[in-house]
Amino acid sequence: MTEAVIRNKPGMASVKDMPILQDGPPPGGFAPVRYARRIPNKGPSAMAIFLAAFGAFSYGMYQVGQGNKIRRALKEEKYAARRAILPVLQAEEDERFVKEWKKYLEYEAEVMKDVPGWKVGESVYNSGRWMPPATGELRPEVW
Amino acid sequence: MASVVDAAGEPIPTSSVLMSAAKHIEITCMSENVEFLKCKKKDPNPEKCLDKGRQATRCALGVLKDLYQRCKDPMETYVGCMYYHTNEFNLCRKEQQAFEKACPLK
Repeated sequence: MTEAVIRNKPGMASVKDMPILQDGPPPGGFAPVRYARRIPNKGPSAMAIFLAAFGAFSYGMYQVGQGNKIRRALKEEKYAARRAILPVLQAEEDERFVKEWKKYLEYEAEVMKDVPGWKVGESVYNSGRWMPPATGELRPEVW
Repeated sequence: MASVVDAAGEPIPTSSVLMSAAKHIEITCMSENVEFLKCKKKDPNPEKCLDKGRQATRCALGVLKDLYQRCKDPMETYVGCMYYHTNEFNLCRKEQQAFEKACPLK
């Protein structure tokens, strides 16, 4: 009933004569729509891009080299200072060690005085070089 | 702890003092240090190199005392800066320049 009321055409004989109500294009049709690709062919060439990237990379590596030079100079300064004061520190340690070693040799002589043929302070190695004591008993607070 | 001298006026060879004066020690005590290192290379036994070690220590402590007498204030600021920054040379450049201007390296 409602379709006939909406699509009424005055003077229609039956429901089959109703005018058609459709959604369609406006008169004259729609405006034309472009759907073809249009990618422009301008801009830097491949060689230009490659040279720019290579240039940026080489500049970066050059800066890395310069920075390494500066860092090496700083490290060299630190190492040179350490080399300069090394003898003072080693001499101090030598004095302390000789004192401790003499005390230790006396202790060893006292402990081993009844052992026949025991040479106090004899090196346990056969190479003839002086080797620092291998156990940690001389400096238990360090080890 | 960041002082150069103890109560009697003798310079204390702490790490910051030694590192601050290291360039001076390197130049002034070059021969003593080289002799000590040669002796050590020949024989690492500490008892054999005691006298050369004493010479090296005497020279270095003499350098410290001499530096302290000649330029007390720049040295004290430099040692204080080194003590604060744990012997990083790069963080104490200003004090280092002032110290080396007052007591130049020969």
